[in-house]
Amino acid sequence: MKRNIPLAICLGMGILMMVQFFVPHPISVGFYDLTTKWVRIVSAFAVVLGVGSFVMYHSEKLRRRRAGWLYSIVALVAAAVSTVVGLAWGVKQTGPLQSYIFTPLLVPLNSSMFAILAFYMASAAYRAFRARTRESALLLVAAFVVMIGMVPIGAHVPFFWFLVVMAVALLVAGFVTRSKALLIGTGALVVGLLVWPAFWKFKVPRLMLPDTAEWVLSVPNMAAKRAITFGVALGGIATALKVILGIERGWLGGGKQ
Amino acid sequence: MIPFLILLVAAGLTAPTAAVATAPPPIQLVSPPAGIRAFDTPNDAGKSITIQWTPGKEGKTETWLVERTGPEGPKVVSTNAAGDIGYLDEEVKDRVHYTYRIAAVAGADTVWSNPTPAVSSSPQLFNTARLNILIAMVIFFVLVVYYIETAKKGKNLFVRRIAGLDAVEEAVGRATEMGKPIIYVPGLGSVADIATIASLNILGEVAKKVAQYDSALLVPNRDPIVYTVAREMVKESYAKAGRPDAFKPDSVFFVTGEQFAFAAAVDGLMVREKPATNFFLGMFWAESLILAETGASTGAIQIAGTDQVFQLPFFITACDYTLIGEELYAASAYLSREPLLLGSLKAQDYGKLLILIVVVLGSILLLLSKTPAFSVFSHIAGFFSIN
Amino acid sequence: MKFFQYLLKIDRRIIYIIMGVLVMLPLIRPLGLGVTSGPRAARLFHAVDSIPAGKTLLISVDFDPASMPELYPMLTALMRHAFAKDMKVLLCGLWPTGAGLAIKAATDIPPEYGKKYGEDVVYLGYKPGVDAVILGMGENIKNVYPNDYSGRPLDSLPMMRDVQRLRDIPMVVALSAGDPGYSDWLRYAQSRYGMKVGAGLTAVSAADAYPFLQSGQLTGLLAGMKGAAEYEILVQKNGYSKAYMPAVAAMDSQSLAHVVIMILVIIGNIAYFATRKRRS
Repeated sequence: MKRNIPLAICLGMGILMMVQFFVPHPISVGFYDLTTKWVRIVSAFAVVLGVGSFVMYHSEKLRRRRAGWLYSIVALVAAAVSTVVGLAWGVKQTGPLQSYIFTPLLVPLNSSMFAILAFYMASAAYRAFRARTRESALLLVAAFVVMIGMVPIGAHVPFFWFLVVMAVALLVAGFVTRSKALLIGTGALVVGLLVWPAFWKFKVPRLMLPDTAEWVLSVPNMAAKRAITFGVALGGIATALKVILGIERGWLGGGKQ
Repeated sequence: MIPFLILLVAAGLTAPTAAVATAPPPIQLVSPPAGIRAFDTPNDAGKSITIQWTPGKEGKTETWLVERTGPEGPKVVSTNAAGDIGYLDEEVKDRVHYTYRIAAVAGADTVWSNPTPAVSSSPQLFNTARLNILIAMVIFFVLVVYYIETAKKGKNLFVRRIAGLDAVEEAVGRATEMGKPIIYVPGLGSVADIATIASLNILGEVAKKVAQYDSALLVPNRDPIVYTVAREMVKESYAKAGRPDAFKPDSVFFVTGEQFAFAAAVDGLMVREKPATNFFLGMFWAESLILAETGASTGAIQIAGTDQVFQLPFFITACDYTLIGEELYAASAYLSREPLLLGSLKAQDYGKLLILIVVVLGSILLLLSKTPAFSVFSHIAGFFSIN
Repeated sequence: MKFFQYLLKIDRRIIYIIMGVLVMLPLIRPLGLGVTSGPRAARLFHAVDSIPAGKTLLISVDFDPASMPELYPMLTALMRHAFAKDMKVLLCGLWPTGAGLAIKAATDIPPEYGKKYGEDVVYLGYKPGVDAVILGMGENIKNVYPNDYSGRPLDSLPMMRDVQRLRDIPMVVALSAGDPGYSDWLRYAQSRYGMKVGAGLTAVSAADAYPFLQSGQLTGLLAGMKGAAEYEILVQKNGYSKAYMPAVAAMDSQSLAHVVIMILVIIGNIAYFATRKRRS
């Protein structure tokens, strides 16, 4: 009984919402609006549970003096002050909550956390971007094209000269690693580069690095992204169907009965 | 006298008639609009009539006036720019008849069209523009049901190896050996997101293993509802593993709803607790690299999975194993090996195959449609558009 | 060989210091690498430029402080452009966390051009419910926003007398850091009300919008900080502003950062191949 009622509600609502998508009638639209309002109301109740967990977690940490308990004091005080200010002066966009807490504290803190990404990207790239295989080498070249193409420096770099530098680097790598495949591939690239200027005679537009970068982003990158999106979409539909039909019951709090 | 009178009469008869001040016929600078169509807007909730027209042959219209005549009488409801030859009238009542006239205005010249036949609006019961989605859905559902039934009959369904999921057992074992906890982040999405549901299913399996191995598990949450579900899930998993006493209620906790504050809190947790294993499974946004890189700096094994395509490169760079897109959804079936779940996984794969066939066929037919002989195929693209 | 092994295991903090110094230096002493505008930014610029004086430009502030470095310069450049052309600016937002940033822009930029709040610029505030907000604004803005962000009735603001619904506004530019954002404006405002829609996005999500630009649904696109810098340059070159250009100033840092990451990757690979050769 404890599981059957939620499963029945899930099945009923799932089917109703599926039908609602295809029915433009005002009753259907009204039902959708009502459901979204209920979702917001239920989420508001859940916030109470969340805040309760937050207070209990940090209070316990403080009580037992676990590692980082000083931060728990900061967390609890910040939560209390925000609550009092919000209740007393409201959440108006010109109120003290905005002017004294959000703008001077939260805005710079959020920006700082986001800025950490720049440093982490550098360290992650240094650690992980290795040309271990042909695919990863190709990925590296594409990454270089996009990285330079997307900044002002790249606007002055013709793609032809970028390829020349790449060819030199690959030749050196080929000799160092004594890889026949790499040397043959680089040789083909060099031949291509020698033939390329011949096309300039026919006034083929000079390909600059930003154009190449845009092509990499909007063609192969977009193709891969769409392929993953297809799979994600189907997986999402299948998972949703499993939840609606009660095949997937993990969200109830455990496995099957 | 008489000759004088005769002269007068003759003059009167022959005198030119006094010029009646009739104005010359007005020179129309612009002709009225043609082809006016007023119809009930299709696939809507009613109270809407669509009016479309084409410009007349002569003159250059500067603006259009749209006049509606209903029970309240005539009223100009819109003034359109020259290039705007359509109007959506949403101020009408259902099942009330209206007629429309369009005027072409050029300078001081305003030329009205004839009124349209009476039209009324009403709500529709089925959105025909979404028929393509319904057909695709039915096909997919049939596939799912078919393969679930096949799985129920005991047929062995092959699923390829997913390295990230095979590593779960090893990762939990490592944490037990090192005596360090496991951190499981179920993403920053809400419980309405499919990726979060998939992540919670995996959490159940991971929690079961953690209970069996007697390791420690920490599950920080960003969403309060996800927190409540995750707590129940972990508690049930410990009970199923026969270790209900080992469950610690404060191992699953709510942190904060703010994205970067959550990332900062989890980073702090990782740096303090120095976990042996980190799981990042669910929906992630810009904080993905912040979490993954901090975890990597502590030396933990990291298994990540998300359906957010833009965050996948960050996880692939910083984590040991990454579940890409639908591999996350396949995880519950993969780990539990339940026939019903495996059946739906198979249906997904065949659904993808169908999409692939449609994409290839559709591309070929659209290319062919450029030739006159196959121009009928140009309508294919319209069938796949979404409204 | 030890040197290469050391390079492979180099402390992260050294990389952080190198990045930090090289990003900070151009901010203190600009390198003057220069920014040239691309076709996408130019397209948006010309679309905004063609709006007649006295008409309203709607800007949707759909980002949070984390995306401020990329999107806030777009907001200020667009506002300066609009004010220089004697347009009105109407601000709204689909993200609650964008409110502070919109208020800041509505306070800081208008005085530069002698413009006043209520007459030349209005910020409507944040309202939840994305499609309901846009569709509601399509019928009557006052139905959705009876008051502006500070509680002033819209009827009391002179600018709003001529702006009743979305059809009265020729163009919306959605500055989006994610969802909800420009795709909602395309779905509802453009297809239903025929508004031109431009977009300003973070660099990560800009590639997603290319198909809309190619199909003509988007009237222009600013991608990341580079897009913001391109727009700032266009605004300055056309004589609409002489203000400090934060995005342009930051582009030197971004260029250096990209070059540094590339050099680090190359060094890492050299060390990897050198030690691998030794191991094999």
